[in-house]
Amino acid sequence: MDFVILSLVMLALGVYGLLTNRQLLKVFISVELIATAATINFVMLASSLGVGLGQAFLILAFSTDTAVSAVILALLVIVSKKYGTSDISKIIKSEEEKSETEAES
Amino acid sequence: MILEILSLGLIVSACLALFLDEVIYSVAALAGTFLFTALLYVINGAVFSAIFQFAVGVGTLAILFLSGEMLSDKPLKKTSPQKMGALLGMGVVLSLPAIFLSVSGAAGTYSEASFGDALWNLRGTDVVLEALVILTVAVGIAIVLYEKRNGGK
Repeated sequence: MDFVILSLVMLALGVYGLLTNRQLLKVFISVELIATAATINFVMLASSLGVGLGQAFLILAFSTDTAVSAVILALLVIVSKKYGTSDISKIIKSEEEKSETEAES
Repeated sequence: MILEILSLGLIVSACLALFLDEVIYSVAALAGTFLFTALLYVINGAVFSAIFQFAVGVGTLAILFLSGEMLSDKPLKKTSPQKMGALLGMGVVLSLPAIFLSVSGAAGTYSEASFGDALWNLRGTDVVLEALVILTVAVGIAIVLYEKRNGGK
């Protein structure tokens, strides 16, 4: 059982989800998985060595993670209200149509 | 053995959170991911980390449930049992390397600091500054709300 590989698998899953998902909430979930992978690496390595420093660093990591989550959710709400959808492909299509209309006029 | 089961559950729930079609079910699977992570911390003796994980996870999930319900588009079709089985199988396969492989190599030098020492002696400045930032945010929100209320009269 190796926690480094466990966190590596979680990181890979998060990055894959970040690159492939079209729903903004799924992108947010991917970011959460990446953050969870990083914290697992910190805490498990520290606790397996018997060091308290990993848990202390975790507080900083969690506060950063929470701030990032708040910013992402705020952006998500703004984008969803503006475009009426949280699908990235629909948002891109809407922007393209808007720019084409502006170019014609 | 219990660590392997928890790792398996962690990877499977992460797969479900990423690839399920319904956002609400994805958030529920993310709750499972946070729960398995916290249990892993408890079993490895990192109880403080488990408590923080639990607290942050509950807050994140509450907001995600609300925003997921409000903002997400309704999926055209529900997740089929075949896809669910494929996701579970993928999760099991992805958890096998973590269970059976290991990274060799000794750990480097590290300090013998306990959690309390590490928190207050090594990260004391961070903790105080974070408290200052949170206090500033709280005061700012209070001022904005106060101005808004006065402006509304």
